[in-house]
Amino acid sequence: MMKDVLIRLRREQGAARPPHAYFGALGGGALFILSLVFIVGGYELGPGTLRRLGTGAFPMITGVILAVLSLAVMAADLRDTSDAERPDWISFAAIGGALAVFALTVGRIGLVPGVFLTTITASLPDPSLPFVGKLALGALVGLGCWGLFIGLIGLPFAAFGGL
Amino acid sequence: MEILSGFGNGLLVAIEPVNLLYCFVGVFLGTFIGVLPGIGSMAAISMLLPLTFYLEPTSALVMIAGVYYGAEYGGSIASILMNIPGTPSSSITCIDGYPMAREGRAGTALFASAVASFGGGIVGMIVMAVLAPGLAQLALNFGPTEYFAVILLGLVAASAVSNGSPVKGITMVVAGLMLGTVGVDITTGAERFTMGIPEMRDGVHLVIVAMGLFGVGELIVSIRANATGAHQNEIDYAQFYPTRAEWKAMFAPTVRGASIGSFFGALPGTGQTVASAVAYAVEKKVSPAKARFGKGAIEGVAVPEAANNSATQTAFIPTLTLGVPGSASMALVIGALMMYGIVPGPRLLVDHSDLFWGLVASFLIGNLLLLVLNIPLIGLWVRLLKIPYRYMYPTIIVLICVGVYSINNNVFDIWLTLAFGWAGYLMRLFRFEPAPFLIGFVLGPMMEEQLRRAMLLSRGDATVFVTRPISGTLIAITCLILIYAISSTLKARRARQKAQVAGE
Amino acid sequence: MKHIITLSAAALLLATAAHAEPGKWTDEPVRIVVTFPPGGTSDLIARLLAQYFETEYGQKAVVDNRPGAGGTVAADYVSEQAPDGTTLILGNNAPFTIAPTQFDELPYDPIADFTHIAYLGASTPALFVQPSSGITTLDGYIEKAKGDGITYGSSGVGSITHILGKAVDIELGIEQIHVPYQGSAPAIQDFRAGVLEAYYDMVALNGDLITEGETQPIALAAPERSAKYPDIPTFRELGHDIVIENWTGLSGPAGMDPAMVETINDTVAEIMQMPAVIEQLDTFGVAHTPMESDAFTGFVEGAITTWEPLIKAANVNG
Repeated sequence: MMKDVLIRLRREQGAARPPHAYFGALGGGALFILSLVFIVGGYELGPGTLRRLGTGAFPMITGVILAVLSLAVMAADLRDTSDAERPDWISFAAIGGALAVFALTVGRIGLVPGVFLTTITASLPDPSLPFVGKLALGALVGLGCWGLFIGLIGLPFAAFGGL
Repeated sequence: MEILSGFGNGLLVAIEPVNLLYCFVGVFLGTFIGVLPGIGSMAAISMLLPLTFYLEPTSALVMIAGVYYGAEYGGSIASILMNIPGTPSSSITCIDGYPMAREGRAGTALFASAVASFGGGIVGMIVMAVLAPGLAQLALNFGPTEYFAVILLGLVAASAVSNGSPVKGITMVVAGLMLGTVGVDITTGAERFTMGIPEMRDGVHLVIVAMGLFGVGELIVSIRANATGAHQNEIDYAQFYPTRAEWKAMFAPTVRGASIGSFFGALPGTGQTVASAVAYAVEKKVSPAKARFGKGAIEGVAVPEAANNSATQTAFIPTLTLGVPGSASMALVIGALMMYGIVPGPRLLVDHSDLFWGLVASFLIGNLLLLVLNIPLIGLWVRLLKIPYRYMYPTIIVLICVGVYSINNNVFDIWLTLAFGWAGYLMRLFRFEPAPFLIGFVLGPMMEEQLRRAMLLSRGDATVFVTRPISGTLIAITCLILIYAISSTLKARRARQKAQVAGE
Repeated sequence: MKHIITLSAAALLLATAAHAEPGKWTDEPVRIVVTFPPGGTSDLIARLLAQYFETEYGQKAVVDNRPGAGGTVAADYVSEQAPDGTTLILGNNAPFTIAPTQFDELPYDPIADFTHIAYLGASTPALFVQPSSGITTLDGYIEKAKGDGITYGSSGVGSITHILGKAVDIELGIEQIHVPYQGSAPAIQDFRAGVLEAYYDMVALNGDLITEGETQPIALAAPERSAKYPDIPTFRELGHDIVIENWTGLSGPAGMDPAMVETINDTVAEIMQMPAVIEQLDTFGVAHTPMESDAFTGFVEGAITTWEPLIKAANVNG
């Protein structure tokens, strides 16, 4: 059921391929906004004097250079008519989710169950692995991590339960 | 002559069975740890530190050094096979190593990496044996102005690492410099862009940036690529021995890379990541095969590996002779020596010459051991690629999580990795490359620190950068490179326009 | 409020408790949290303790490095753990005496949220100048500082060498130009490159440079002269009451069982008196002073108040 949905979703995603210019504006634009944040932030932190460059001097200098460069990048990308990359938001979400699951679980329920859940979350977007297989993989990786990181390398993590 | 007899004595020390054993333990463990993303030599060395209580100082140092360069080598394995740098400095190896693996030449790439690492290690060892006192003296002549100049040179070189548009390369370097300012300003103690989060005070750890941008970002891209079969390649498992032509193509780049690496290794703080980046950028400019760079050139694997391995050896020069650790791992080396009451410094070469020469000779033995250990393993590593990606990628994500978590045992680092991973994916969509960003990010804080310190010490006189001889020379070289780069770009553009006009 | 009550109750109990036998205090492995990355003096002391706990008393112990934000990440973590003796912190100035003044919002209270178990010892910083400068006395230094001005290196903003520099500014009525570094090694490198005129650093880590004549010690910030370097006068005997020491000690979360605290204290005291350990600590320049739990708590409290104006001065002027 879920497998079908995933396969269909992937096919639909693959259908439309706008030119790169569509993304070009986004990439350069995001960098431009970021540089403004650092310029304003740097100014508020204080640029200091030539002898004693202030806390904000370096963020401001790099911010200004980046602002100029990001506009140049934007201008060049907007003229780019080649096909854009196809974004894969499903994998994007699943991998992000896997990291989030690890962050939420490792200190609370321990490394082994945390890794188990992380593995399953990460494997969700792959329709070729049945859910039972995902469970088995999770268990295997969880136990493997226990042996490797706690047993062999001796990192100070709790295998089960909170720290 | 003194060097030869010193080295001879050192060799006798290094081949004592007990030192040989610990050298082996070190390189073996180092390779193994280096393959695991995020867990670098730091983790391995601190894990071995208690064991060193029971060892002779020389054995301990030989083992720690083995871990250190073993990890550097191991880091390249993950880079080549999965495009995930095992250590930050091997991110440069990804650029050509991974394309080679996708062409089905993973074995050759691993072999090239092993041989180039060996070559780099040997060059690094020779440099250390012959030039240690001289290089220590050179490092002593490096004040803030000189550091600033050398970093500027490194950055200009780094923007050439990018395969795409050069403007985007520079943009990423500058973005790296800018984001490197996040955290406490070390000159005033004021917080910058930390959003009030205590964990942000120390900035973002390099491993997090490398794992996020390269590791997680790449993983998101490759899930679909593998699911749709775009990545499947026939791999010839038996074929990993380079052809005669490849051997020839590798030789000069290895030597060049190793020389550049030795220089950067000897300067405390710049480290292997910068060494391999600069070496790669230089090679990309001078190599006859420059067109193939970024598309699976064997030279592109050999150069950064030779550079980072030789930098790893020469990093011991400032550590031992000046007591200035270039990296966290080197700080551990100083710590381990202090446990024995040996204070690294100018007297170490004289007072503990056995230790120094034993270490130098162990580089030879250790690098040989690495080669012997790893060439038979290449077939095994390549077989890893046979494991279906649906099993591999969740495992890799877990390895990245555990690796990042092991840096500070802090969950916050995982959230940051998530943010950088997503950013890394978006960067790929927008056709930005992570490698120049990483280099800007490494060098930014150092550049700012040295710039402000230089201005403070010169009491506001900006001319020091050109009037001091070493920094003046470096700045002049940087300017020449810039002028050359701009003029050649303009020439290329004019040629293109002419061709267009002619075409019409 | 609750903390204060438990704390005073604990103090009362302590006063009456008999001396415990040194030895193991829990069947669980103990985690010694260190506020620095591996490799520094603090980390090495923790590893030394962990090793002796295990080999001499069968108390399993591991070192857990949680560096970051001036040691506050580690201290915050420890303050939130169960007070069962399984989590200890090798504390020092940074999280306990500097951070409370340096940071506006500290997630923990250095006194109420901790059981300060055993003071280990301290190392002392000194003022060093270029031998080529011809300055050999503190008076000569003051003269130079008042004339051309002088640049000095410290191991970082808010570090104890920076605070010492500020203390010297205030006490001597001079204004040195502060150049912060990340740790003392790079500062010494710039000093030897000749671009830095002076620096403050732990005297024990400069032994070689002193004997080689590469650096000239001027004054020591200890209460008394050092046995190893008897030629260096103290600030105090030169008429300036500046004593700034880099102490280190073992603490745990608030509300630990007093009997257990006693056991740990006695175990640590016994280890610190073993000849091998004394010799080891000597290379780090750390001299051991035994101190009971309540005295140690009082010491931390006292240090916070005496240092407050210095830290404030250090932060304001950068």
